[in-house]
Amino acid sequence: MTIPASEQQATPARRHRIDADPESVERGLVSLVLTIVELLRQLMERQALRRVDQGTLTDDQIEKIGWTLMSLEEKMAELRDHFGLEPEDLNLDLGPLGPLLPYD
Amino acid sequence: MDSRPEVEPALVPTAVIRHRPPPEPATRAERPAIRTERIALVDLLDRVLAGGVVVSGEVTLSIADVDLVTVSLRALVTSVSTLARSGAGPEVPGR
Amino acid sequence: MRWKRARKMAETRSEAGRAGKSRGPAGRAGKSRGQAGVVVEPHGVWIYAIAEHVAITPPSQLTGVGGGPVRTVGAAGLTAVAEDVALAEFGEDALRRNLEDLGWLEATARAHHHVIDAVARQGPLVPMRLATVYSGDEGIATMLAERTADFRSALARISGCNEWGVKAYAARQSQPDGAPERAAGPAGPSAGAGAAYLRRRRDELTSQKNTRRQTFASAEIIHAELSRHAAETRVHPPQAPQLTGSKAPMILNAAYLLEDERGEDFAAVVSALEGQHPGVKLELTGPWPPYSFAGTGEREELGGLTA
Repeated sequence: MTIPASEQQATPARRHRIDADPESVERGLVSLVLTIVELLRQLMERQALRRVDQGTLTDDQIEKIGWTLMSLEEKMAELRDHFGLEPEDLNLDLGPLGPLLPYD
Repeated sequence: MDSRPEVEPALVPTAVIRHRPPPEPATRAERPAIRTERIALVDLLDRVLAGGVVVSGEVTLSIADVDLVTVSLRALVTSVSTLARSGAGPEVPGR
Repeated sequence: MRWKRARKMAETRSEAGRAGKSRGPAGRAGKSRGQAGVVVEPHGVWIYAIAEHVAITPPSQLTGVGGGPVRTVGAAGLTAVAEDVALAEFGEDALRRNLEDLGWLEATARAHHHVIDAVARQGPLVPMRLATVYSGDEGIATMLAERTADFRSALARISGCNEWGVKAYAARQSQPDGAPERAAGPAGPSAGAGAAYLRRRRDELTSQKNTRRQTFASAEIIHAELSRHAAETRVHPPQAPQLTGSKAPMILNAAYLLEDERGEDFAAVVSALEGQHPGVKLELTGPWPPYSFAGTGEREELGGLTA
């Protein structure tokens, strides 16, 4: 049923309730940071592949970029491991926009 | 809806053909056995918080105004999934 | 006038309520009820659902969110299923606190649903969203009179029907090991390893993209087929993995309005579809009272709920 606009109340200012548990705050921050790093890693990877496909890179550049990205993926795995995070933990839900990173 | 016999089409307007008088309580068909005994909290909250009719009460603003984003997102997500996984609490039949 | 006084008391109670701690479910059966079960503290009226006039008689032993008896309020040919509740727990400020307490929220949501579910067996019922509280019956009667046409059309729409929910998940692929394969060798770029990595990643991304496309195509086909069996449908946003507890991504979250006796047929259709789409896992819940169909289809989203 539709509610007349006059009755729809304005959303109040959002309060933020902080989770007081220090361990989970730290974990929250870590996974947030790693999520951003992972996002950048994936973006760089896709960018690199696009440029490889476009043929704008020399073999040497391809090798170097590929090796760098490979090391980066290894490092991410180590960091996740160190903090006890699964790959699925590194994500952000943007509500109506869906997840930040693709689920697979 | 295609293989079922029409219910007295002469008496029921086609536009609201599903509308029948409510059955007597004693004869109302038993719900199919598919119903889940244990309703997942996430499904329940989805329905009672985001479904149902919205009107503004007098004492309270309708729940559309109680912004659930004010709850710490991580706390809510963690708690809901924890509750869901642990199957916490029996379904409350009313107190 | 009774309404005004109740409102004044409500405001006073809100002040006090803010200072005190919120009562959980355990405190609910306590001092607010007199001998006859009548609430003696300042109270409001919680409403559960709207039905046709006199179609509904709540079972006498049915208790609700506040632990009190469930009753009805009639007006304009409609009946509201209601309960007197203490404002110390269900007033505006108290609710804002309590709704953030997941334990309280779960208990209240289940009690709210339980009442709706129990009464829905008696006839068509339009469920109310959680936490709609009036200061007294007069307010409810006024609301019913103002909204008669809306409620009647909703009741007509859902009459004799239940809601069934279907969620579809992408069937979990076997996950490749997180650590990239690398031939043992000296540290530093070794011939071909970087290029090989990029080739591997391209293949993986392409295959993931194809799988994803296929999975979403399946979801669309499944939803189209299920919709054929339903009077109405509503598609909801998929629930995040953190909420569902399932690692597999949800690709469909829909509600289907079915006539009462069609549930078993529908379940068979769901089963068959799951068999036809190996990349997809389906989950059926129901029958529900028609929460998703109480409105005309414009669903108000709550920002935090599906996150």
